Amino acid sequence: MHMEAQKYVWEGAIPLQIHLHESEVTTLPPPPPTLILAPRIGYLPLLVGLIRPYFSSALPPGVDTVWFEYKGLPLKWYIPTGVLFDLLCPEPERPWNLTVHFRGYPGNVLIPCEGEDSVKWSFINSLKEAAYIINGNCKNVMNMSQSDQAELWRSVMNGSLEGYLRVSSKLKLVTIEDEYSMKMNFSSKSQQGNGETNVAGQPKTGRIPVRLYVWSVSEDFDDLEDAPNIDSWDKVSFINRPVEIHVEKGKFFTLHDAVKMLLPSFFSDNPLISDESPKVDRVDKTEMSSDDTSNNKGRENLSEHVKSSSTTRNAEIKLVRIQGIEPKLEIPFSWVVNNLMNPDHFLHIYICVKVPEANTT
Amino acid sequence: MATESPSSARKVVVHFRATGGAPILKQAKFKISGTDKFAKVIEFLCRHLGRETLFVYVNSAFSPNPDELVIDLYNNFGFDGKLIVNYACSMAWG
Repeated sequence: MHMEAQKYVWEGAIPLQIHLHESEVTTLPPPPPTLILAPRIGYLPLLVGLIRPYFSSALPPGVDTVWFEYKGLPLKWYIPTGVLFDLLCPEPERPWNLTVHFRGYPGNVLIPCEGEDSVKWSFINSLKEAAYIINGNCKNVMNMSQSDQAELWRSVMNGSLEGYLRVSSKLKLVTIEDEYSMKMNFSSKSQQGNGETNVAGQPKTGRIPVRLYVWSVSEDFDDLEDAPNIDSWDKVSFINRPVEIHVEKGKFFTLHDAVKMLLPSFFSDNPLISDESPKVDRVDKTEMSSDDTSNNKGRENLSEHVKSSSTTRNAEIKLVRIQGIEPKLEIPFSWVVNNLMNPDHFLHIYICVKVPEANTT
Repeated sequence: MATESPSSARKVVVHFRATGGAPILKQAKFKISGTDKFAKVIEFLCRHLGRETLFVYVNSAFSPNPDELVIDLYNNFGFDGKLIVNYACSMAWG
């Protein structure tokens, strides 16, 4: 089961419909949009080789500097494609309509990108940063052999989970055993090569690398379709804060506990949230084992749960989305980490928060 | 902003260290607002050194992405009350 969820994440893809920006069209009729499947764990610049042939004959003369845009917002190329989609499409749009530009790179909004090399460099640095958080240094990543590094990167590019695990297991980046799976006796496979994890259920450092994308809205909406667009990156707060897992005997450290820890200001008035909703118990946990990545049901439960856990004065969490899933907040956080993290060993979490009007000024 | 904890309002001491033959700054330590992104640190260095591009690292180890907040970097990787930022004109640590 452990592997199965991870496999879903690695095979996850978003159908894209790519349009060439009208200012770059030099042919009549303009080239039709092209459809392409973008891996969730991948990065947009890695698709350029597939996209360029469709448009190259229509382009004006000049040097290509490729970038993508959604509803006028230039897309940050170093954010995994799945995270961009979760963040910018509260109501998932399929196919996702993106505009590609081959000219006029917006250097004031985006850092330069020289294709695959830049993306690989950014990925390896993200991995080093995660290793630093987990182990207090990133020697294992820095001392990787050239061939291992090449294989690791190739496996990310090709979506090969097996190849990835073969190399990444050498990095000793296991943060926490999956308490949940262990109880269900599913632990054996994933623990090969992690000699350093000694006691079952004991984290090595207990520090989980998390990249949090928080979008605060002031107006309320009941339907995700009515959610306003993110038209500027200034509207997104990027928070990089590790979660320190506290394991209490007989109790799971849940996703809800993690979110509370990541955004303490939202919960300061209400420290006893989890005690207020005793309905979320054993039953849900058992249910999860047979239905681990489904989300439709989860959404209703989540909003119900979230409403009960927010005070009127505090901000209200409207949506928590990881790898396109809106998980129940009662899920053991160790399961979330081990199954839903990206290959850079960061757990990327998107949270939409409604901030009360009075607090926004 | 409501998403920021009060501690992010504070300033962080950033200690710049040249590496790989990069020009040395006259002043090595600066106070930078915790709410600034790492992009601003890179920009600041490029401006001071009159260069268009620089490779900028934390703890001689990795390059954070430009969206990361200085306060998060300090909390995660700082020690002795400061954040060590290394810079080089060419790639120093792959």
